[in-house]
Amino acid sequence: MGSRRLTGEDAARVTVGLLVLGLPLIVFGTRLFPPTLTLHARVSEDGGWMPDVVRARVGEALELRLIADDVVHGFAVGQSASPALDLPPGQTVRTTLTFEEPGTYTFYCTRWCGPNHWRMRGVIEVSGAAGPTAASEPPLYAALGIDLDAPRPTPEVPHGRPSASRGAELAGFVPETFLTDSAYLSRSPSEVFLALREDAATRAFDDSQVWDLVAWIWSTHTTKETIAAGAALFAQNCAACHGETGTGDGVMAGTIPAATMDDPSSTEPLRPADLADPARLLSASPALLHGKITRGGMGTGMPYWGPIFTEAQIWALTDYLWTFHFEEPS
Amino acid sequence: MTRYELTQFAGVRRLLTSRWPQLGIQLLLLSGLILVILAGLLGSPVGNRNFAIVMVWIAWWGVLMLVAVPFLGRLWCSVCPLPLPGEWLQRGAILGPRGRGLGRQLRWPRIFRNLWGQNGAFVLVALFSLPVLTQPQWTAILLAGLVLLGIAVSLVYERRSFCRYLCPVGGFIGLYAQAAPVEVRVRDADLCASHKIKTCYTGSTAGYGCPWMVYPGSLTTNTYCGTCMECLRTCPHDNVVVNLRPAGADLNIGRGRGLDEAFKVLLLLGSGLAYAAVLLGPWNAPRAAAAAVGTTPWLVYAAGFLLFVVVLVPGLVALAVRLGLRLSRARLSLAQALRAISPAFVPLGLAAWMAFSLSFVLANLSYVPPVLSDPLNLGWNLLGTAAMAWSPYGAGLFPWLPVAVLVAGLAWTSRRAREIAGELGGGVRLAFPLWVVSFVITIGLLWALVG
Amino acid sequence: MSSSRPVRRILVLGFLALLGTAVLVLPSPRPTAPSRARTIRMEARSFEYLPAVVSVGRGDLVTLELVALDVVHGAHIDGYGVELTADPGQTARTTFVADRPGIFRIRCSVPCGPLHPFMSGTLRVDPSDTMLRAAGLALLAVAAGAFLAARPGGGMAQRSAPIVRS
Repeated sequence: MGSRRLTGEDAARVTVGLLVLGLPLIVFGTRLFPPTLTLHARVSEDGGWMPDVVRARVGEALELRLIADDVVHGFAVGQSASPALDLPPGQTVRTTLTFEEPGTYTFYCTRWCGPNHWRMRGVIEVSGAAGPTAASEPPLYAALGIDLDAPRPTPEVPHGRPSASRGAELAGFVPETFLTDSAYLSRSPSEVFLALREDAATRAFDDSQVWDLVAWIWSTHTTKETIAAGAALFAQNCAACHGETGTGDGVMAGTIPAATMDDPSSTEPLRPADLADPARLLSASPALLHGKITRGGMGTGMPYWGPIFTEAQIWALTDYLWTFHFEEPS
Repeated sequence: MTRYELTQFAGVRRLLTSRWPQLGIQLLLLSGLILVILAGLLGSPVGNRNFAIVMVWIAWWGVLMLVAVPFLGRLWCSVCPLPLPGEWLQRGAILGPRGRGLGRQLRWPRIFRNLWGQNGAFVLVALFSLPVLTQPQWTAILLAGLVLLGIAVSLVYERRSFCRYLCPVGGFIGLYAQAAPVEVRVRDADLCASHKIKTCYTGSTAGYGCPWMVYPGSLTTNTYCGTCMECLRTCPHDNVVVNLRPAGADLNIGRGRGLDEAFKVLLLLGSGLAYAAVLLGPWNAPRAAAAAVGTTPWLVYAAGFLLFVVVLVPGLVALAVRLGLRLSRARLSLAQALRAISPAFVPLGLAAWMAFSLSFVLANLSYVPPVLSDPLNLGWNLLGTAAMAWSPYGAGLFPWLPVAVLVAGLAWTSRRAREIAGELGGGVRLAFPLWVVSFVITIGLLWALVG
Repeated sequence: MSSSRPVRRILVLGFLALLGTAVLVLPSPRPTAPSRARTIRMEARSFEYLPAVVSVGRGDLVTLELVALDVVHGAHIDGYGVELTADPGQTARTTFVADRPGIFRIRCSVPCGPLHPFMSGTLRVDPSDTMLRAAGLALLAVAAGAFLAARPGGGMAQRSAPIVRS
């Protein structure tokens, strides 16, 4: 049997065959190699982070490909100094993480992506030889024995807005005992007011002046920069539910599921706390606020921020919360 | 009105009759189609970053609607990749004839040998258009489905029965190709009469008989000619030519059109208005309903859409025709008049779709470079444009460019309406209601696209 | 045949073109309210703006507030090039002078879901006569088309038009 000449038809068939078989092969091949871990970000209702558990080893670089599949998301590792990465939908963002200490790290979404945005979290399990571990301390509210969920007594509330600057003029009259950290952190402003009111040193002042002193005491435990940092954290993380002015009417306010652990059959929609309500905030000590933020609301819809924020960040937030009631020093 | 023959130049004739340039473009588009289907199934669900959505509904649609159809007629059909696998299997060859292929070459059933199938296919796709336009997997499945359908039809029925009777895009392209300034025709009809065996229709060793089941010797409109150039290859006398001609020359032929074609003209005109209103209009409710396929709101939307494009717009035009007939006392039945008059509405329909496409394509054209850089959503950056920001192009052209297009289409339609009314013996009285209904539809389009 | 026909055509067409130009460029006869400063609050939710249509006067100093209700949204105003991005909980603000009258599309500039390309609103800067002018042009178009129509009898000859080879 003689061989026949290759015709144009043969060339065409080969080309078509290569295209029809080759292209899919190439496409599938590129999806398998290189085997970088790809982290898909979707809104919580559609799966959240996929996968949501990542493993790494101490000291080894963890390469990640991040891609948002629906709306704008963000990526950050809790309590890390690295800036958050924005994930524009459909765009691949590459990052490399290295962990010095073993443990469980929480990563989370940093751009609001729906009512369940705060539930969009995952963990990175870092294994390896541990250095000497610092004993983990219990949070302050636990150490102080504060019950975060107990109903609080109706506090004293000021008429008008206490001003730290006005309080500064009278600061010399405040006894030393009021200025310690423990005295500040463990007592609510209302309790501080009452204690100051009873103290002989302030007998000559009227109530509004004593409130100014309370505001001044607050201002001595923080700085302008800390408050600004707290304001930024509040805007990015809290304002969507609590409102930009803290009044509990943020854009997500109507979306918190109704049923709580206490009352699973309730259909009353839960509302975020009105932080601008003096009855609410002035009855809470800084330690209590710090605890609420750290531990969350136990079924009330308030997220727990312990794994996400550093201590400094949570204290900055609590410092900022008082600006809903007190005038900052200028 | 004269025609200018392009194939008088040997170079042009060689380019068109050689199978290699055509095959080259076909292979390029076939590769694109394969990539589109794969990207649609495997790529990012984010529509504006998916190769399938962006390249099909922005790039391809933009070129088709704004360049190919208005100026080149059905040229897309000569390189369209959808029917190619089926056609190659049917023919048993990719290039010239090589004997029998795998196709059974049955004739398309007589009762379906009309445009109702295409009308139905277009409406069906239109009902699902919102998920198709925005979800990559839907686009992939639709295109893969059309390819498979094409293969199935090509293996059983003759030639390009799929293209001619089923393809939803084909009906659209064929209709508006009548407005284009290019055509394939015979130079000398008497020469055809003297040629015993019509190899342009039966085929020869040089090429296939017309895959579109058209006899080139009597070709008078662009509607069914897929410009595949087979007849240029098979005519031994080089009597088939490609002409440059005045735009819309086909719209002069008012007789010999079926009711299916008349209906298609009005169906597509109404669809253009519906698309403009739903996709680009200010209300979100119809859009959201159109996207939520399978739900009750979608059923309501589907019913509304069908009512509008199948009943309301054709009905309105039919009423106008009826009124015109009564006013002018022209001696025609409604059906006869509709069939003769419907070509007049082609320019307005084309203008509607062009204006709609302008608004949509220019605003989203900046999605093309990122998608070319990262077609599989793996983080590539082939052209360096993967992170290019979105920005709408041609903002300065709006709103007056779409207005100009619509106004030009309306003028052309008004002119054709007057001319056809004159040919039918109805004069201005027959034309006047047609002008009114065209004006009303144009206002609707302006309001959706501009207001 | 009379040779006045082509001349008449040119005259009428010229007149229509003049009218068309007038429709396009003549300033609006409607009195304009004095310009003032306004704050417009637009809420953005997938996939609409609330309100969908925003009206301001020409020359107004407009402060646009964009409030995102569910996910990160954007707003881009065609023709003005103003662009805002808002996260839920962080109202975005920008100020611009509405010095150009007309109707401008507001498009979402941040992908926010499947229907994102169709998420749009409208900014009307009054006096915006665009629709009126466009309708006027449409009317003129019908007149032009009607007038340009060839007389009956000319259509039949076109089917057997000669093909020109140079």
